[in-house]
Amino acid sequence: MSRRSGRAGEALAGYAMLAPSLFGLLAFLAVPIGVVVWLSFQNWDLIAPLRPVGLANWRDVLTDPDFGHALLVTALFALMVVPVQTALALLLAVLLTRGLPGSALFRVIYVIPWVCAPLALGLVWKWIFAPSYGALNAVLGTHTAWLTEPALALPAIAAVTIWSQVGYVTLFFIAGLSQIPDHLLEAARVDGAGPVRVFFSITLPLLRPTMFFVLVTSVISAFQVFDTVYALTQGGPQGATDVVAYAIYHEAFTAFDLGHAAVMALVLFAVLVVVTLAQQLYFRRRISYEIG
Amino acid sequence: MPRLRALVATAALLAAAGALLTGCSPASSGATTLTFRTWDENAAKAYRQSFAALHKKDPDLTVKVDVVPWADYFTKLRTDLAGGSADDLFWMNAQNYSEYAKNGALVDVDKALGTSAKKAWAPQVVDQFTQDGTLWGVPQTSDGGIAVYYNKELVQQAGLTEADIAKLTWSPDHGADDTLLKVAQKLTKDSNGKTADQPGFDADKTVQWGYSAAQDLQAIYLPFIGSNGGTFQKSDGTFTFTDPKTEQAFQYLVDLINEFHVAPSAADTNSDGDFTLNQFQQGKIALFQSGLYNLSNVADNVKFSWGVVSLPAGPAGAVSVTNGVSVVGNAKSTHQKQVAEVLKWLGSEKGNAYIGSSGANLPAVLDAQQVYFDHWKKAGVDVSPFFDVIDDKPTIPAPVGAHFSDASTAFKPYLDEVFLGRTSVKKGLEQAQKAANKAVTGGD
Repeated sequence: MSRRSGRAGEALAGYAMLAPSLFGLLAFLAVPIGVVVWLSFQNWDLIAPLRPVGLANWRDVLTDPDFGHALLVTALFALMVVPVQTALALLLAVLLTRGLPGSALFRVIYVIPWVCAPLALGLVWKWIFAPSYGALNAVLGTHTAWLTEPALALPAIAAVTIWSQVGYVTLFFIAGLSQIPDHLLEAARVDGAGPVRVFFSITLPLLRPTMFFVLVTSVISAFQVFDTVYALTQGGPQGATDVVAYAIYHEAFTAFDLGHAAVMALVLFAVLVVVTLAQQLYFRRRISYEIG
Repeated sequence: MPRLRALVATAALLAAAGALLTGCSPASSGATTLTFRTWDENAAKAYRQSFAALHKKDPDLTVKVDVVPWADYFTKLRTDLAGGSADDLFWMNAQNYSEYAKNGALVDVDKALGTSAKKAWAPQVVDQFTQDGTLWGVPQTSDGGIAVYYNKELVQQAGLTEADIAKLTWSPDHGADDTLLKVAQKLTKDSNGKTADQPGFDADKTVQWGYSAAQDLQAIYLPFIGSNGGTFQKSDGTFTFTDPKTEQAFQYLVDLINEFHVAPSAADTNSDGDFTLNQFQQGKIALFQSGLYNLSNVADNVKFSWGVVSLPAGPAGAVSVTNGVSVVGNAKSTHQKQVAEVLKWLGSEKGNAYIGSSGANLPAVLDAQQVYFDHWKKAGVDVSPFFDVIDDKPTIPAPVGAHFSDASTAFKPYLDEVFLGRTSVKKGLEQAQKAANKAVTGGD
């Protein structure tokens, strides 16, 4: 009896300690998600009264070629950003851990864009990309419409995104690299492995936990890209940069169709869960967290 | 990756959702503070003075002024109304009010102030804000018509006189009466000093444009459509982009930009509505077609000498659009009596005159308009071209319809392509019309 009540008391104390974060989780995550699920079955334009419409929003969105297009653009964007950003960050991390003079300064410099407000950066880039009087065209001596040429707009957005995030990702690789014990690298060198061989056979495999984390978070953030698109192209030209997060914003706050927007948000959520699970499955069999 | 925008949007959504669950706060007695929202920084100053005067008259009533920038105005208004945190009174334009009126969000002005109050106000603006026989706003500013600001120095340098540009005409076939094109060519220069009508002119190196043709509904394409005898909408709010006369007007504008290169590329102007204003202010556009709403911007920021001439006339004459802004009352405000009192004040000569005294806006209360004309007369600016074009002359109606803003979002991407010259005018306008009308009829 007393043991049971003791255990109950322990559980109670445990929940009490959990309560603050549990409250945060419920109030700011679970409840809003619940509201969005509920909204996905309503027609609401923010002025007229809510009207339940059953599955109509889901039918509309899932059969809308524009939404399929938005998913495709987003996937394409992720494909442009994630590999380049990861490779670049890895390269920077390797260079910055060499102990070259000025490394500490460069570490800070590379992270600055990530620290800045994306919208402000977007405005600066808008000026850089401007067809007339833009800095980029002035340097190149061209008159290219970087942001209004359908073939160039998405790569331009991807380039800005990579530029602003690469320093942040580099930090994780620097941390990961510093975890690799020197004796392993030394042993490899003693066995006659060159720097390239050491990197691909020792360093890279031992970086897998970092790599997993970096890839998962990069893919998620690529799928949620919004600010840069909002500041630079607003989804144009010809829908070339109409990524899902922008399409959701547009549907909710320009077209004022909250029901459709809710469905789109839930689909994006589902896609991200699936992508993350797939990555986890891939890495689970390949990660060793134990370093001897 | 901090997604500020998404966060704001989510917060707004949450606030909106929260408002569905909770009610509004109860009204207090005695002293009342109301809030008023506008998108115009200049107007805000005038309103603060106006409300200070009202406070003197009725010490129990204080009105605070909020400014929400134009780019976010209607997005924020809509979410705030849904969230129950919108102001008691706010500025409204003719293109957006009817959706709000239809859903009971606005105070019925006829009921609040009586049906005869409107006699004191600019009739065009009253008409714009009347739907099904009910007036939904108290007119505050009237835009007059569209005219052309010109840079006197650039005109002189091109060897032209004011007489050459005072009565410009244009024609879709670029015939002898297309003086607008000829003048604009003379006023367009590349970095080698060659003008657009000379051989060897390099459009990629333009340093000065003759004219401000761009995808600008109120200042550019509506007047061109009207001046060619075309139409933009039917009375039911559906769009008529494919009207042959309308198509001709668009073709003419697109040619000015992409064929004759006398106006900046749409790559610059499509996404930056102020590009032509800024270039004019910097002395890089010679003829800048716009409305009274830019008069202060020009007068305060321009360092060269400038003037105003009338809107170029097309085959159907010089047909302008005129527009107005009203103040509307929030029907959900808990202080309806005071809201009516403020509406009455702002509809009076005294209350409305403040926004005219700085010259920023033409008051829509007829008796208050004189201060505006006095201001510009004193400044030596002849504003008559903005009024001659609409006085007893036919005008093209300003956009209407409960779904105009949705429709405008839907057709803009197609017009973007048309102005860039990437889609043929005919095909682009067909697409624009289809998208716009779908938003009107199916856009529930």
